Formats: sequence, C-alpha cells, structure tokens
Amino acid sequence: MLIEQSAYANRWRGVAPAAKGLFALGGLVAAFIVTHRPAAGLGIAALLATVTLGGARVAPGLYLRVAAPALFFLAISALSLAVSVAPEAQGGLGLHASPDGQALAAGVAGRSLAGLAALLFLVLTTPLTDLIALLRRLRTPEVLLDIMVLCYRTLFVFSGAVQDMRTAQAARLGYGSRRQTLRSLGGMAANLTVQIWQRAQALHLAALARNNDGPLRFLTTPHPHARRDIALAGSGATALVMLAWAARMVTP
Amino acid sequence: MSAAPGTANAPLLELEDVSFRYPDGSTGLHGCSLGIARGSRNALIGANGSGKTTLFQHCNALLRPASGQLRYAGAPLDYSRAGLRTLRSKVGMVFQNPDRQLFSASVREDVSFGPLNLGLDEATVAARVEAALQAVGMADLAHKPVQNLSFGQKKRVCIAGVLAMEPELLVLDEPMAGLDQAMQEELLAVLESLHQRGMTLLLATHDINFAYRWADRIHLMAAGRCTASFAAPQLAAHEAQLAALGLRLPAVIGLQRLLQQHGLLGDTRHLPSCTALLTELQQGPLPETPRHAAPLAKTAEQE
Repeated sequence: MLIEQSAYANRWRGVAPAAKGLFALGGLVAAFIVTHRPAAGLGIAALLATVTLGGARVAPGLYLRVAAPALFFLAISALSLAVSVAPEAQGGLGLHASPDGQALAAGVAGRSLAGLAALLFLVLTTPLTDLIALLRRLRTPEVLLDIMVLCYRTLFVFSGAVQDMRTAQAARLGYGSRRQTLRSLGGMAANLTVQIWQRAQALHLAALARNNDGPLRFLTTPHPHARRDIALAGSGATALVMLAWAARMVTP
Repeated sequence: MSAAPGTANAPLLELEDVSFRYPDGSTGLHGCSLGIARGSRNALIGANGSGKTTLFQHCNALLRPASGQLRYAGAPLDYSRAGLRTLRSKVGMVFQNPDRQLFSASVREDVSFGPLNLGLDEATVAARVEAALQAVGMADLAHKPVQNLSFGQKKRVCIAGVLAMEPELLVLDEPMAGLDQAMQEELLAVLESLHQRGMTLLLATHDINFAYRWADRIHLMAAGRCTASFAAPQLAAHEAQLAALGLRLPAVIGLQRLLQQHGLLGDTRHLPSCTALLTELQQGPLPETPRHAAPLAKTAEQE
C-alpha cells in the first residue's frame, strides 16, 4: 500500500511511464556494470535515490520503509557471504571472516543496492496500471497481462474482504485467545476461499455482460509530453551508464 | 415519457412465459411475462430471492431460459456469438456490487473495457469514455485508482462503464443499495438525464415509495413469478399484490385519499410523492368550502 500511495502521489506521476522505465533500465544496467566495485555501486544507488527523493519528491520516510525489507534480506545475505562457519583448530566451530568473502559481500551489496534503487525509482513513481499499459505496448503476452490486471484489482478487493472479516471476528471475541485466533484464522481462510470462487464467477459474468470474449482490453492514458520525457530519461540513463563505466575504469 | 412517436407502444424487451431452473434444482423464474416499453422508466419490485437478478441476467442473455421466449424489439433473442454481441451492446447491465464488476484499478481503463470489446477504434472509445464519465459526474476523478473511490463513486464508474457502450436499455440491479441519501439523489439525477436522452431504464428496488415516485411502470415479482405489471399511477389498485410481497402502499396514496375525503384536494391526478402533494396543496386552488376543515385544523392545533 505504501508503494501504491507513492506511485499515485509523487511529482512525476504524469511523466510517461516509458520514460521512467527507460531511466530505471539505465540504472539497472549501471548496477551490473559496477559489479565488484562496491563504492561505485553505492554511488549509483545514492544517485538514483537522490533522483527519486529530490526529483519525484517521494517522502524519505516512506522510501526507507519500502526499502527496509529488501535491505534486511540483503544484510543477512551479505553477512552470510562475508562470514563463514568453519571448524576451529582446537575443536568446535567458529566464525571466520575471510578477505575474499568480505570483498564478495561488498560487491554483491553494492550491485544489489544500485539495482534496488533503480527498481524503487520505477515502482515508487509509476502506478501499476501505467506499468501494465507499458508492458502491453512492449507486446507482453496478453495472458500474462490479464493475470496481472486481475491479480492487482483482486488484491484490493480481498484486502478489503479480509479486513471486514477480521473486524467482524474481533467484534465477537474471535482473537481473544491463541486457540480462538487459530480458529478464527482458519474460518477466515475457508470463507475467503469460497469468496474467491464466487468473485471469479461474478467477474466472469460482468465481463460477458460487457461483451468480452477473450483478452481484457483497456484504453491507455495519453501522455502529451511522452517524447520529451523519453528523450530526457534516455539522456539520464545514458549518463548513468557512462558514469558506471567510468567508475569501473578508474577503480581497481 | 420521451419515447419516439410511433414506437411508444412497441415493447423494447419482452419476456413471454419465461422459466429458468438453476443447476442445483432451485427455481429461478416461473412462467414470467413482462414487457418493457421503449423510453420508459421501469421499477421491478420483489423481496430478496424473488428472482429479480435472475430475470435481469436473462435480459442480457447471461442466462438462457429453460422454456418461454425473450424478444428484443420484436425479434426473438439470438443466442449465437454474433447475436449475443449485438444484444449486449444494446442492453447494458449494472450489477449490484461494484467490486464484482470493476476489472481495472484505473477508472478510465475500466470504463474503456466495454466499448473496446465492441471493436471500436481508440479515438471513438476515448470520446465515449469522456462522455460517459461526464454523464455520471466522474470526469474529475478519472485518474484516481478505483480502490480509493467511495462506494457511491464506484457505482457511478460501473454505470459509466455501461453507458460508454451506449445501450438502448439500461438494467440496474438495486442501484440504490448501500448509498446514502445524497448519493441516491445524485444517482437519480444521472438516471433522469439518461431518461431525458431517451434511454429505457429498468431497475430493481425494495423501495415502493421510490418506485411510485420515479417509475412510469411498476413490475412486481414474488417467488420467481411476475405477479403484476402496471402503470405507476395504478399502484393503489394493486394493494393486495403488494401486501403479498410484505409491502404497503406508499403513504402519499393514503394521504391523498384522506385529503380528498375531507374535500381538501379536489383533483384526482397522479401525485407521486409527498413533495408533489404539498406543492399541489400550496399552489392549486382549494375547493370552496372544505367540509371537515375545522376538525382537521383542531387536530393540527392539538399537535
């Protein structure tokens, strides 16, 4: 929901999604160019984060909250790469930090941070409906897009249903004890399964009523400054890639 | 009524002895016969589970009758692929729960779904989407994600999604359910403007006062049967059939009768609501000497 909130509220909401996609792609390419150069990776990540926070005016607190889970997993992975568990000379197991392992962890962390920043730029500035429209223009198979459209819409319908059910259960002391909580969750899962089935049936009827006979087609929102946006984003992406390349050349 | 001359009497949609049974064995419709005149406003009244939604799904050929026949503009419904396509472009259906009808998370995209299914080009679709959103007063919210809209706004998006297909007959399944008074008034204004444009309207409701006030024709349903079909001003003559549905005559009918008995209201013309009755009392010339004016005035004073 945080991503959703930012995607609709940021300053670059009206910028052509193709432009934002291109810039994010530039960021990703740059992230791969600076592999094994952690400092350059960090630099690219910082640059992308600055663009997201300064350019698109995404709130820093929200940015950190969205990034937190990914950063947590990255930290765990980097730690497991840097530190290895091996038998000690005097018996038993001990933690060892090898220079190779540390270098590898730093490299992976740098590249991942840059990649994460590039993807966060895209998702925090572009609503999913725009991204789906962009994928449609890029000739992604219809079946995949239909699944994306329905999953995305259903996500909100079901989060609403789950909330209602939870409230109704809580109002009747459904979460009073551990035993009751387990019971309530089971009941909710069962009820939700039936609702999913009914909902799918209802959506099918609604589609038929509106003359649908195959793929779900929608009108794309026009972006009047798409050319200008794409040109700007293209230059930005090229600059990022060149910067990454230069960093790769100068750092050992 | 704004029906075109010459076609006023030709039913746009006709059900003749239509029966339907669900796969689980329960009866949906039982020998239902009903006619919807072109350009008219129709209210279908029935208790929960009386078969209103089943009947509506027959109008759009989402269900096919086990026996009996449906005719659109005089011709029996054609259930072939092409026939269904034509029918569904002429009969628009708005479901009761908007969350079960909206596909896309974007308002504009969802409204474009129907017209794109008709195979129209993008420029025409874009124009129709704008016009439909304007008609329901949602043009300013076209860029909003569906999940951030209120229930009433979602309902209006659903109507826009059907309007963009430019149907001749708009079928609305309990459109007022879940709407507050202000939203109901807004929706009514939308329906009124559609009726002014000549669209035929059929809606299901539980509110007999609303049906009497709004509709040209009222249709009653009970246990899958169409029990009565009449012009709204004749509602008073169907008191027994209403009682069978657990409904009473609108209060305005009783009030009008009482005022006439007391000689305070001479005219017997159709007054569909208390507002209309009050306006009539305030503006219309009262009969010369009201026979029971004094007791009535006394009652008012006592209160």
